[in-house]
Amino acid sequence: MRTRSSSLLLILPALVLLAAVFLYPLLRYGWLSFHASSVLTGLVPVPNGGANWGRLLDDVRFWTDAGQTLRFAICSVALELLGGLALALLLHRPLRGRGPLRALTLLPWALPTTVMALGWRWILNDPHGPLNAAIRSLGGSSYGFLSTPATTWFFVVLADVWKTMPFVALLLLAGLQTIPVDLEEALRLEGASRLQILRRLTLPLLVPYITLAVLFRLAQALGVFDLIQVLTGGGPAGSTESLALYAYLNAMRFLDFGYASTVMLATFLLLLVPLGGGWLLLRRAGLERTTERAA
Amino acid sequence: MAARPPLSSLRRQPAVLGLLAVLLLVLVSTTGLKSVQAVAAEPVPIRVLMPAPLADAVAGPVARFNASGSGVALEVIRGPLDTETISDLAISSLLLGEAPFDLLLVDVSWLAKYVAAGWFLPLERWFGPEVLAAMEPGARLGNGLGEHLWRMPLTGDTGLLYWRTDLMERPPRDTEELVAISRDLQRRGRVRWGYLWQGRQYEGLSCVMVEMLQGFGARWWDDATARTVLDSPQAVAAAGWLDALLRDGVSPKAVANYAENDALQSFAAGEAAFLRNWPYAWREIEKGGGPVKGKVGVTSMVGAPGEQGGGTLGTWGLSLIKGSPHPEEAVAVIRWLTGPVVQRQLAIEQGYAPTWSRLYDDPDLQRRAPLLAVQRQALRHPQLRPLTPAYAQLSDLLARQVNGMLTGQAGPDQTMATAQRQSLQVLRSVAGTPGSPPGSPPRSP
Repeated sequence: MRTRSSSLLLILPALVLLAAVFLYPLLRYGWLSFHASSVLTGLVPVPNGGANWGRLLDDVRFWTDAGQTLRFAICSVALELLGGLALALLLHRPLRGRGPLRALTLLPWALPTTVMALGWRWILNDPHGPLNAAIRSLGGSSYGFLSTPATTWFFVVLADVWKTMPFVALLLLAGLQTIPVDLEEALRLEGASRLQILRRLTLPLLVPYITLAVLFRLAQALGVFDLIQVLTGGGPAGSTESLALYAYLNAMRFLDFGYASTVMLATFLLLLVPLGGGWLLLRRAGLERTTERAA
Repeated sequence: MAARPPLSSLRRQPAVLGLLAVLLLVLVSTTGLKSVQAVAAEPVPIRVLMPAPLADAVAGPVARFNASGSGVALEVIRGPLDTETISDLAISSLLLGEAPFDLLLVDVSWLAKYVAAGWFLPLERWFGPEVLAAMEPGARLGNGLGEHLWRMPLTGDTGLLYWRTDLMERPPRDTEELVAISRDLQRRGRVRWGYLWQGRQYEGLSCVMVEMLQGFGARWWDDATARTVLDSPQAVAAAGWLDALLRDGVSPKAVANYAENDALQSFAAGEAAFLRNWPYAWREIEKGGGPVKGKVGVTSMVGAPGEQGGGTLGTWGLSLIKGSPHPEEAVAVIRWLTGPVVQRQLAIEQGYAPTWSRLYDDPDLQRRAPLLAVQRQALRHPQLRPLTPAYAQLSDLLARQVNGMLTGQAGPDQTMATAQRQSLQVLRSVAGTPGSPPGSPPRSP
C-alpha cells in the first residue's frame, strides 16, 4: 500500500543527503558572501555590507572569466557533439574488430584528466613538444601554443574534446542501439537515401540521448577546473581562466574566502541560465519531434 | 618474521595473504618508520622548499654543508619553476597545518600575506638589527613587517635597464632622454625599436608600473592609510608615458603581450636600443652569443627628469615556518644559506645580486661578477611593491587595467581612475572595514 506520507518518508534520506551536500553549502556561501573573511580578518567572517557583491559587479576578471568559460563550454560541447555523433555512427556499423575498436575509443575518457592534461602540455610545449617538432620538420617555426593569449583557449578546447568526445559517443551509441533495425529497413525499401534516414529517422530518435549528452557535458564544461589548472594554470595572461579556477584562486591563492564564496555563488547563479535555457530548448525540440512523429 | 610459510601454500588463500599484507603494512608504518626515524635522529633533518632554479643554484653549497658534519641533514625540495605556482604549493600545505618543510624561500611579494596568515616565526630572536645593517639598503626592505623580522634575504635582485653600448656613448639619465635617444636611433635606421619591456597582463607589468610610478613621483600604496593612491596626477603621467611609448612607436605594439623572455629575445636579436629586465638577462645575452653579445651595458632604471628612478625589488629570502620541530637547526641553515659564502657563489655562477655590503666591496668578486656595481647602485633606490596581504589581487587588477590601456581600450586617466576605484572595492571586500588600516602598517626594522 503506497500513500503520500510513506513515499515522502522513503525519499526523506535522499532529501536529507541532498540538503547536506547541496543546500547547506549554498546557504553557507550566501552567508559568507556578505562577509569579509581573509587573512586580513584573521579568517574570521566580518560583515562588510555587500562590498563583495559590489566588487563582483566591477570585477573585470570575473566577467572576462565568465565569457571565457561560456566560450569554452559552447565550443567544446559543440565539437564533442559533432565528433561524438560521427564516432557513434561509425561504431554502430558492423565492422570487423568492432569490440576492441569501441574499447580503444573509450581510452581517452578513461584516463584521469590530470594525466591527459600533462600529456597535452607536453605535446603543445614550445619549442620541445612533438607538435612543434613536427611543424619545424615541415619547415615552419615553433608556435607558442600555450603562450599566445589569443589562441591558447582553442587548444584547451581541443584537449577537452579529445578527452570527452568518447563519452558523448558512448551515450549516442547506446541511443543508436535502441532504434529498431526494421524501421531503417522499411525506409530503405521505400528508397530513402542514407542522409534522409539520418535526418528523418536516426536524429529524431536520438534527441533524448543528445539532450542528455549536451546537458551532462554543458554542466561539466561550465564548471571546468582540473584540465585548465594543469594545462595552462589559467594563462597566458588569464586568457584561459575559468570561473571555477577563479573561485579556487580566491580561496587558495589570495586566501580571501569571503570573495571566493561570492564568486562561487555568482557562478552558480550564472550557470543556471545557460543550463536551464539549454534544457528548455532541447526539451521543446524533443517534444515537438515526438508529437510530429505521433501525428 | 623468521618462519615464513612458503608462498605456494598461501596462493589458494587470498584472504590470509591479504591479512598478512595488511599486518605487514601496519607493522612497517608504525614500528618500522619509528625505528628508521630513531636511527636518523642524528643529524637533524631540515627541509627547504625553493623554486627549481634557485634549488639548482644552491645544490653545490648544500652538498658541502651536508658534508661538513654540522649535525643537520639539509634537504632542498625542488618546487615548480613559476613563482605563483610554488606559492600555491606552499599555501596548500600550510593551510593543512603541517607543512612538510621547515624553511620556505619567500618572494618579496608574498611576505605580507604569509605573515598575516600567521605561518611564520619571527626571526629577531636570532638576527639582531646589526645583521640587516650590514646589508645594502634595498636588501633590508621587504623582510620586516610590523614589529618583527620575518625573512632573511638571500638575493637582492632589482629591475634593471639594459642599453646598447654600440649605439650610444652613455645610458639615458631620465625617461625623456630614453625616448629621445630611441627616436633618433629609429629615425636613422640604426635600430627597429627603442625600448622593450613587459606589457603583458601579469605580475611583470605590475613590476614595470612600480618603477614608473616611483619614477614619476607617484605612489601605488600609502602605508599610513593602507590604501592605494593610483589616481594622482603623477600616477596618470606614469601610465601616460608607457601608453605614449606604444602610440609613438618607440615600443612595438607587441609589448602589450611581452613577458620577460619575449622582450629579452627581441633585444638579444638586436632589434632594440633598450630593455627592461632582471639581472639574469645579462648572462642570457652573453651566453647566447647573438648579435648584441658584448655590446650591452646595464644601468639602474630611469625616472622622469628631476625624479629619482629605481628598479622594482624582486628579492628572495628564507622564512621559518611556525611549527617546525627544529627551529634552532633551521635558523642555523638560514644563517649559512644567506651567508656571504653562498651569496658569493650565487653572484659568480648565476648573477644574483648579493645582499651583504662587504661582498660589494670585494675586488675579486667585482671582477668576477661584472654587474655588481650596477646592482649595488640599484639597491640604493629600490622600489618595493605594496606590502599588503591583498597585494596579489591589487596587482592583478592594475596589470589588467594597464594592459587594457596598452591595447587601446582606455586612456591613462580613465585607466588609473578605474584601477583606483576597483582597488578600494577590493580592500573593502577583503578587509571588511573600508579604507582603514587592515593591520599594523608595514615598517622595515
